[in-house]
Amino acid sequence: MQKNFIQQLHPMTKFFFALFLSAAVLIIPGHLFSFLGFAILLLIAVAAGVVKEFLGTVMKALLFLLVIIFLMQLFFYPGDHVLGQWGIFKWTEEGLNYGLTLSSRILAMGSAFILFFRLTEVRDFVKSLEDAGLPPMGAYVVLSTLQIIPEMRRHANTIMDAQKTRGVETEGSLLIRAKAFIPTLTPLILSSISSTEERAITLESRAFSAPTKKTSLHKLTKSTADRILPFVYITILVGLILWRILT
Amino acid sequence: MKSIIEMKNVSYRYPVSDDQIIKNASFTIEKGKFTAVVGNNGSGKTTLCNIIRGFIPHFYKGELEGEVIVDGKNIVDYQLGQLGEKIGYVFQNPFIQVSGVKDTVFDEVAYGLENLGVEENEIRDRVKEILKLVKIEHLQDKHPMGLSGGQRQRVALASIIVMNPDILVIDEPTSQLDPIGTEHVFDIIRLMKERGKTIILVEHKMDLIAEYADNLIVLHEGELVLQGPTREVFADPRFGEYNIQYPHVTEVALHLQKNSVKLNYVPILDEELPESIGWTSLEESAHD
Amino acid sequence: MTELHLKNVSFAYPDGTKALEDLTLNVPSGQRLAIVGQNGAGKTTAVKLMNGLLKPTEGTVHVGDWNTKDHTTAQVSRKVGYVFQNPDDQIFHNDVESEVKFGPKNMGFDPERVEKLTDWAMKLCGISNVADENPYNLPYSVRKFVTIASVLAMDSDVIILDEPTAGQDRVGLDLLGKLLDELEKKEKTVITITHDMEFVTEYFSRIVVMANRKIIADDDSEHIFYNPAILEESMLKPPAVAKMANLLGLEKGILTKSQLLSVIKERELTRGR
Repeated sequence: MQKNFIQQLHPMTKFFFALFLSAAVLIIPGHLFSFLGFAILLLIAVAAGVVKEFLGTVMKALLFLLVIIFLMQLFFYPGDHVLGQWGIFKWTEEGLNYGLTLSSRILAMGSAFILFFRLTEVRDFVKSLEDAGLPPMGAYVVLSTLQIIPEMRRHANTIMDAQKTRGVETEGSLLIRAKAFIPTLTPLILSSISSTEERAITLESRAFSAPTKKTSLHKLTKSTADRILPFVYITILVGLILWRILT
Repeated sequence: MKSIIEMKNVSYRYPVSDDQIIKNASFTIEKGKFTAVVGNNGSGKTTLCNIIRGFIPHFYKGELEGEVIVDGKNIVDYQLGQLGEKIGYVFQNPFIQVSGVKDTVFDEVAYGLENLGVEENEIRDRVKEILKLVKIEHLQDKHPMGLSGGQRQRVALASIIVMNPDILVIDEPTSQLDPIGTEHVFDIIRLMKERGKTIILVEHKMDLIAEYADNLIVLHEGELVLQGPTREVFADPRFGEYNIQYPHVTEVALHLQKNSVKLNYVPILDEELPESIGWTSLEESAHD
Repeated sequence: MTELHLKNVSFAYPDGTKALEDLTLNVPSGQRLAIVGQNGAGKTTAVKLMNGLLKPTEGTVHVGDWNTKDHTTAQVSRKVGYVFQNPDDQIFHNDVESEVKFGPKNMGFDPERVEKLTDWAMKLCGISNVADENPYNLPYSVRKFVTIASVLAMDSDVIILDEPTAGQDRVGLDLLGKLLDELEKKEKTVITITHDMEFVTEYFSRIVVMANRKIIADDDSEHIFYNPAILEESMLKPPAVAKMANLLGLEKGILTKSQLLSVIKERELTRGR
């Protein structure tokens, strides 16, 4: 992706920001700050030019969850100040407050990490983990899993086609489709296992286990901003904690 | 003749198996020469490649007997990672030979060099050179997972060749490819031969082997039954006993010989046919 | 017996990519047909339409008197069997025999018929001796025969083989040849996709050449492999025998080794050797 200033920041800087924001919304009571936090995230998304995808993912991943959580707290959180009633459901002031607090916090925290992944390429994130000490095999497992998943979907479709031609019905009632499960899943798993071996050989033939220290075409650099920002986060957090304790 | 690989009385049994899949094989691979390994399926060709490349015994367990010497040193004394620089390995399935961790063909080809700790600028230069050589420059920004089988096989070859190994072990690279894909792969192999690499190739396409291979090793049920210069092995009457495919022209010529047509020598290339049966095309056109 | 009729068939993927344009093909019952052409020409798409795996976006495909649009793939597979190129996309049993039995059992045949078909298919494919083996312990080329057997055991009238020759050695190719003869005796229709031109000329007389999503030729081997225009457009290479015949200055039309041999012998005799 074409990178602007925000995207060019080191992955760790962005990751720490997500952590920082999550910690902040947990420290500060009530829901106002959490919603504010979300607004800040939105602004950052706009500045980085990823706001559409960001909102899209937030909707898909969080919206349903948040609504359920909010309603659960609204109706079932213990409280005395009843605000209203509808049939057997009654909602209280305590429930309302808690519901808002909880869901706004989850919104802020969840969105913080969603934004992080929107702003960071996985390859850069894994590279930063490697720089921080993640063993090469760990990095390999993370990265290859990401590429494998769409591959497996494609492969599963091919297998399903092959089993259809052997008389396995895949269209129809749930029972019929359940019967197609084993003939589809088993070859997928078996070939994944045997391809793991071949994949290991491929890695070997690319000198994966060579005793030398590895180099990298795509290096991560830390700019001044990357060096300063983590301290800014910590300073603000310490400040917030102190304020909380003292008031 | 300088030998670069030697096998002495090598036998091997896979961990789960009762039978030895390679029985008492001894041979030498000449440095800088192109040796083809032929034999019917199940004869042990891939196992032999695994042994040469050091995957047996370092990767696959099981019982390995005998000595395998690569460039003067016994293979058990090498660390697996060290062999990667000396011996390149390409195998049949193009879909498993992508690393699975790179987003572009350029990065994919560079991967081996990164693992070897080569300096970044050198990596870039070498990758550019190889992409040009293998004629896949137009693919360099594409995602490896989006390529066809033939394209992937070329990328796999490029990824190995860029590491500049002296020895290339290539196991049935064209079985899953169409004729044009096959041609592209053999163009690359020919180039490597011209550059003086030692090449060991397992293939069923005998016509291509007749054209490119200097030496031939024949496996039958795990035993090394024939070896020597390509021409000699094909002409050896014992070759026919193993029901292995001949080059098409050789098959035709031998059948003619069986049917009382005089054969001056056993042809292995199409162009040799007229001369081998004592015809020249000028002579025959008069009969049309 | 089942005839195949593809009428003005076109196929495009959901994202709009065209894979076939205006194909018309009729395959009478019991015929042997080879489909050749470069990868990407549309061969696999065409055969997938024949067994209902894909439904045409334009035109109709009739298998016997069934329109494939009116039936699921599993149903059409009763009439048209399809052996996939990669056996590892199909095999999921621990032993060869169960794998082969799977298809006929799904067809709902009675146990005796299942037994009989399984034995016949395994014998034909040369895998009776490994009936109890785990397919993954067998070489890749033998696994290919396991999948062929598992489709043959379904006893469909039409059988489609997708690249059965890839990676096969001499023994495997001979076995395939015998298999084709046996299927012909049983009056099955066989359609094969292959890149092996020697195999094609040896065992098939009707050849359909595809290029650029269309059929560019549908004829017998003589007229295809000696036609420079077709060879150029399809980027096919004629079988080795054609090159040899040319080098010897022989007449056009020679494609099989046996033809070459008899012509050479004739010449030898006339030259008084």
